[in-house]
Amino acid sequence: MSPRPEIAHLRRPQILTAAAEVIRERGVNRTRIADVAERMNVSPPALLYYFESKQELLREALIFAEECFYEEFADRLTSFENARARLLWLVDSYIAADDYDAVLWIELWPHALRGGDLARTRDSLDRRWRGAIASIIREGQEGGEFGGGDPDELALLVASLLDGLAIQVALEDREISYRRARQLCLAMLERELDCTLTAAEEGRRAA
Amino acid sequence: MSPAATTERNAREQILDAAVERIATDGIDEVRIARIAMDAGVSSSLVHYHFETREALLAEALEHSFELAGDVRIGEEEAEEDAPSHAHRLAAMVDQCLPYQGTLERDWMLWVELWLRAARSPELRATAARLYERMHRWLADEIAAGIADGEFSDCDVDALTDRVLAMLDGFGIRALVRDPAVPLDWARGEVWRMLARELGMDAETPLR
Repeated sequence: MSPRPEIAHLRRPQILTAAAEVIRERGVNRTRIADVAERMNVSPPALLYYFESKQELLREALIFAEECFYEEFADRLTSFENARARLLWLVDSYIAADDYDAVLWIELWPHALRGGDLARTRDSLDRRWRGAIASIIREGQEGGEFGGGDPDELALLVASLLDGLAIQVALEDREISYRRARQLCLAMLERELDCTLTAAEEGRRAA
Repeated sequence: MSPAATTERNAREQILDAAVERIATDGIDEVRIARIAMDAGVSSSLVHYHFETREALLAEALEHSFELAGDVRIGEEEAEEDAPSHAHRLAAMVDQCLPYQGTLERDWMLWVELWLRAARSPELRATAARLYERMHRWLADEIAAGIADGEFSDCDVDALTDRVLAMLDGFGIRALVRDPAVPLDWARGEVWRMLARELGMDAETPLR
């Protein structure tokens, strides 16, 4: 039977969402086209119509997951009153207990180490993330909320610290290490930016 | 030790050494028992004899590698006993935690593989947690000793250690993928700046 009738109703976002879900559950290495196909109730050849290889599917799924993240991110950002509240929320959304993106991110590293497309993907996703952090910092500095130095350098510090903490959170008891990770990250930010972040809780509106 | 026992121990270690190299080169998921056996110069059945499951072999290989690295670290510290200060020892320890070329870079590859698998394997997560705990104590003990000797200012040792280890991991992974924004020496300098500020040390990193 030709795969054509099945793919008529498939949309790329659906496929990529399903792929991201499967990756999150099984890990990148154990995700086969067949698993994603099964999740979507279609045949594997139907998927291969869209994607040349598993590598490509995984790469697209990761990029798509990030796109969705940033859409929601940009949306949520506008709901906060000031840069401190935004920064606080950024930290929380990264370290939060049910962290989907950190799992995918950690999955990406071994592949990025071996070069190729996924290395380039990691690089551009990382730069985008650091850019998002930097613009909140810059905004805060311009508004007089934050002191401190170069926003891009600070963003790199924060991103690196968050990644290191994410590993610890993944390895240990989530409840305890989430709180600790948050505490450590906020302490560093408060020192580097010469501000108080925890008081910014008042600047946050209810979700 | 009887010759038989020595041979058995040697075989075991050879298998572990081979496993370590394979993990670093191929990645945990691609590692094959048959290949490890070949590299170690033994039969697959001997590997199975020594290690009940693939998971068990991987977990032990990782512990084995970090044991060796730990020995190297301790060795370096002994050499550093002539070093004038806790600051110098601390600087050497920071260096040990960054993926400088050679064995350190190879060890880093293992760390990354461990993180990846630990998320999904309770056995490896236990291994990873154990190794992390050892790293933590290793660093924290040196900081505490420096404070006790009056060389460092007092601080929350555990918090500082956690933060430093997290920064080293975050920088290390970027340096390992050759992120142009994170040259190793810069990373080292940033970590040192953080330590120096907390512990009241000279901001200039002691020379490697």
